[in-house]
Amino acid sequence: MKLRRPILWLLLGLVVAASVILSMPGASSTRQDREATLAAASANHPAGTDALGRDRLARVAAAFLLSLAGAMVASALTTAAAAGVGTLAAFGRPSMGWGLMVVCDVFLALPWMFLLMMVRSALPLTTSPARSAAITFLVLAALGWPASARAVYRGAMQLRTSDWMLYARAAGLNSAGIVRHVIPNLLHLLLPQFLISIPAFVMAEANLGALGLGVGEPLSSWGGMLFELNNSPMLAETRWVYFPVILLVVVLLLLEGVAAEA
Amino acid sequence: MKPAISAFRWIARTLIIVLLVILGSTVLVRFAPGYLSDAREMDSRYAVAARSELSAEAARSRSLPQMLLAEIKDPIRGEFGTSRQFAVPVSELIEPRLAVSGLLLARGIGLAWMIALCAALLSSAGRNPSMLRQAPATLLLAIPTAALATFCLLADCGGPVLVMALLLAARDFKFLDRALRAAWLEPHVLQARAQGVRTGRLLAAHILPSLAPQLGALASLSIVTSLSALVPVEVLFNVPGVGSLAWNAALNRDLPVLLAVMIVMALAVTCSGMATPYAAEWKQA
Amino acid sequence: MNLACRILVCLAVLSPIVPTAICSAQQAPRLPGELAWTLGYDPKTFDPAKVDDEESETVRYLTAGVLLRFNRLTQKVEPELAQSWTISPDGKTLTFTLRSGLQFSDGSSLTARDVAWSLRRVLSPATAAPVAEEFVSPAGVTVDTPNDTTVVVHLPKRVIAIDKVFDEIAIEPAGRPSEARVTSGPFVVADYRRSLYVRLRRNPHFTGKDASGAALPWASGVRLDILENTEQEIRLLERGGYDLIDSLPPDYFELLRKRAPALVRDLGPSLNTEQMWFNQAPSSPLPAWEKAWFQNRAFRVAVSQAIHRSDLARIAYLGHATPAYSFISPANALWYNRGLSAPHTDVAAAKAGLAAAGFRLQGSVLTDAAGHPVKFSILTNSGNAAREKMATLIQQDLAALGMQITVVTLDFPALIERLMHTEDYEACLLGIENVDPEPNAMMNIWLSSSPNHQWNPSEKTPATSWEAEIDQLMNRQAASAVNAERKKDMDRVQQIVAEEEPFIYLVYPNALVAVSPKLQGVQPAVLEPRLTWNVEQLRMQGAR
Repeated sequence: MKLRRPILWLLLGLVVAASVILSMPGASSTRQDREATLAAASANHPAGTDALGRDRLARVAAAFLLSLAGAMVASALTTAAAAGVGTLAAFGRPSMGWGLMVVCDVFLALPWMFLLMMVRSALPLTTSPARSAAITFLVLAALGWPASARAVYRGAMQLRTSDWMLYARAAGLNSAGIVRHVIPNLLHLLLPQFLISIPAFVMAEANLGALGLGVGEPLSSWGGMLFELNNSPMLAETRWVYFPVILLVVVLLLLEGVAAEA
Repeated sequence: MKPAISAFRWIARTLIIVLLVILGSTVLVRFAPGYLSDAREMDSRYAVAARSELSAEAARSRSLPQMLLAEIKDPIRGEFGTSRQFAVPVSELIEPRLAVSGLLLARGIGLAWMIALCAALLSSAGRNPSMLRQAPATLLLAIPTAALATFCLLADCGGPVLVMALLLAARDFKFLDRALRAAWLEPHVLQARAQGVRTGRLLAAHILPSLAPQLGALASLSIVTSLSALVPVEVLFNVPGVGSLAWNAALNRDLPVLLAVMIVMALAVTCSGMATPYAAEWKQA
Repeated sequence: MNLACRILVCLAVLSPIVPTAICSAQQAPRLPGELAWTLGYDPKTFDPAKVDDEESETVRYLTAGVLLRFNRLTQKVEPELAQSWTISPDGKTLTFTLRSGLQFSDGSSLTARDVAWSLRRVLSPATAAPVAEEFVSPAGVTVDTPNDTTVVVHLPKRVIAIDKVFDEIAIEPAGRPSEARVTSGPFVVADYRRSLYVRLRRNPHFTGKDASGAALPWASGVRLDILENTEQEIRLLERGGYDLIDSLPPDYFELLRKRAPALVRDLGPSLNTEQMWFNQAPSSPLPAWEKAWFQNRAFRVAVSQAIHRSDLARIAYLGHATPAYSFISPANALWYNRGLSAPHTDVAAAKAGLAAAGFRLQGSVLTDAAGHPVKFSILTNSGNAAREKMATLIQQDLAALGMQITVVTLDFPALIERLMHTEDYEACLLGIENVDPEPNAMMNIWLSSSPNHQWNPSEKTPATSWEAEIDQLMNRQAASAVNAERKKDMDRVQQIVAEEEPFIYLVYPNALVAVSPKLQGVQPAVLEPRLTWNVEQLRMQGAR
């Protein structure tokens, strides 16, 4: 408990700082300063500029508010779905559990890339970048649950056969009560899954750019900025290319701190 | 008798999963955009040849039920058809690659677990979880796979096994750290420690048995994660395995190859779930 | 268990396995005198008659013995297996005289009979050889062999630049097609490991000789690794694992230039073009008002005038590109229209042009006369960093006119489906690779009836008078034998295109290559294959 409050304040501080950076007069995450591409840090551009002359600090701030928020919501949804499916499979009728795990296994083996192409094909080409980002994160949330659902199912099966659960059910514990007691005991599976999913979704969003989804230009995509690390010419160009990954690590560690105290 | 029934149930489950994967994959690939297109249509030197190949494929895949039936019958007969891209039997493409990918997976998962267990052992030494000790794993999770590959190339050190191991170890560590710390602080373990039971006996008799079910769940999660990491790792390091074949087949909409790979994936996913026998769970009320 | 204890346990467990894990993978060793570079993907076929993709074409170029070779540097056709050839005045009869003493790689003699068999096989409908299309009506072509060293080819009608087509026809042993295992070219396919490499070895009976009379090829063989990863490729080039890279992206070119300037060469503008176009097909599923915008010349010209091409060249290509206004690059010296008058960057003129065409700027949003905001998407293919940057730069340029652009990147098959089949797109940004400077190679793009007439494919009749004029000019130059007249026609086609802007040309990317200083005999050319067109002359320093 002792660290939780300062950590939460720190996270809130980052959100406020990002909003302040974006609301400063003249700040823009999308305007291209074409005479100053890949520029070093300066008064105008405290973190330098990217390959198209856009202010890196403003882009990181915008991506923090958009991509990271989207990834966190998607991670929460997918973890909740995994918890729900795993618990239902373990505590429901055996045939339902069997069926749900078959669905999970099939889900894991199918090539979902093609479904994502179909989603893109169904959307109008002029879908705004923000809307495309929202749809992308929702689709990722809808596809990301099966792997951890299986792990949750196993964990829930363990709990189902534990002594205290047997006593509780014998004493007449109802379904709502079961869920209220099972979920806290599965946090050791759910919290790491939530934390791992955030960077995975950030990068998946950037990968989906190749299929026409993701955060479209000119909005800044955190995954897109991380992908600059793939490119050795960019690594040789500027040290500021490490800024997004360092900030992501800091945010994830802060979230880790909140989760550890839980 | 009971093992025979369990085995039969497992085989039935596997067959159902493989059938559903074949049907689902065929529908997804056939109706995704680009199935009846080819980049060579834009090149006037090759456009005519490309169009005639595409017309032949369009005629073959016009009726979905017929197509689905053909895709199910072939694997039953042990045939996987001919690759659309290379015009060679699919089995000829896949067989040499299975060993390559299998070895990469085995070495990657093995190394990942060693690293994750050691890191969790070190990290859980403290009474309280420490953000600092979480930092290396968090950093690995935040770096894209392609960036890890680039760093390996720049450092002229490391390859697909190391990158896969680091990716998996970072994920496994997050679970193991919590589990190990919780196990170390369980009441019966605390009592045993207070009474001076030796560390070795503590680990063997108390910690590992209580961790075993969670390790089983984590193992299955780990294998599934490694299967999805196989594609980017093989593509980035140009490993001639099943992952890079699948990626190439997806980009070129090579349905016969994709189906064969999906069947292999379905079998691998199903086998990874063998950690907990489903037949026993069925029986529990 | 205290921390020190745990550390010792970890070291004991990890120390035997980590060192092997951190060893980087080794490349297959090179044979002495062997050259090495990469192919992007596995060739689909080694049968030279059935080549229909780029990497198969690469293998064919290196292994096929041909009657005539198109010299990529001088851009002239030269004798190869044929010591001379003539074309009749009506252009319908070609007579080849073979050199004497020709042999295949297995030692068997190469005579007119083998040449005739190879030509007939390519022309036969059963083979479905893509190169047969170059003969226009291949079914009507006949081949005679009056004697062992003479081959006569009769065409039903004249085909401009038909001699160049023989550069793509491999001469194989009659009745024994071998998929390049027995060839009359400089190399022979010796080994193929799928997804790993194609290995070629020297043809000991190759007829080519260098200026001093020494037998060619110099190299003992060629190893073509299947690799599509620029990071690995440049690392291996720097370490001597590869001898050349035929085409480098601009950012990697700059990286190599800073690290090892002796390795890289910018050959100047290539023949390739990058362009943007609007979907003008009446049958497309776009709303009527969007079709009206895209079919309006003033709209297209305004878009062209708003784009800062110099920024595209400077930022997206790091200076390794030239602003483009025509489909013929200045590197194509014979056909480029030096007197072209095209609308250059002029945002004020663009705004005035749109206003005159009935568009209104309301705040920062442009609307048409009916009040529809001008919003459209630009499609491009994913994986090409320079194109994606260009699309984003154009997005800002057009925002200055009040147009709202979304940039969508798709993988190639999905993109082609929209372009060629469903016609469900608004604007597209792609490039064209021109391997042949000859305008006839571009007929498929400019003839309005062609499915590759990108902005409005397969027109039953030309939709506009200027498209009808282009049809007439292209057909006329294809039938003419007088180069001066053809040049006038092509100049006029370029002028029409610059005025009507069906394609808005953006840049000509430069040809960027890298060559190991140990590789001798390289004479880089802008035409493909840039560095290996004279592969028989290439050798490693110190070899032989």
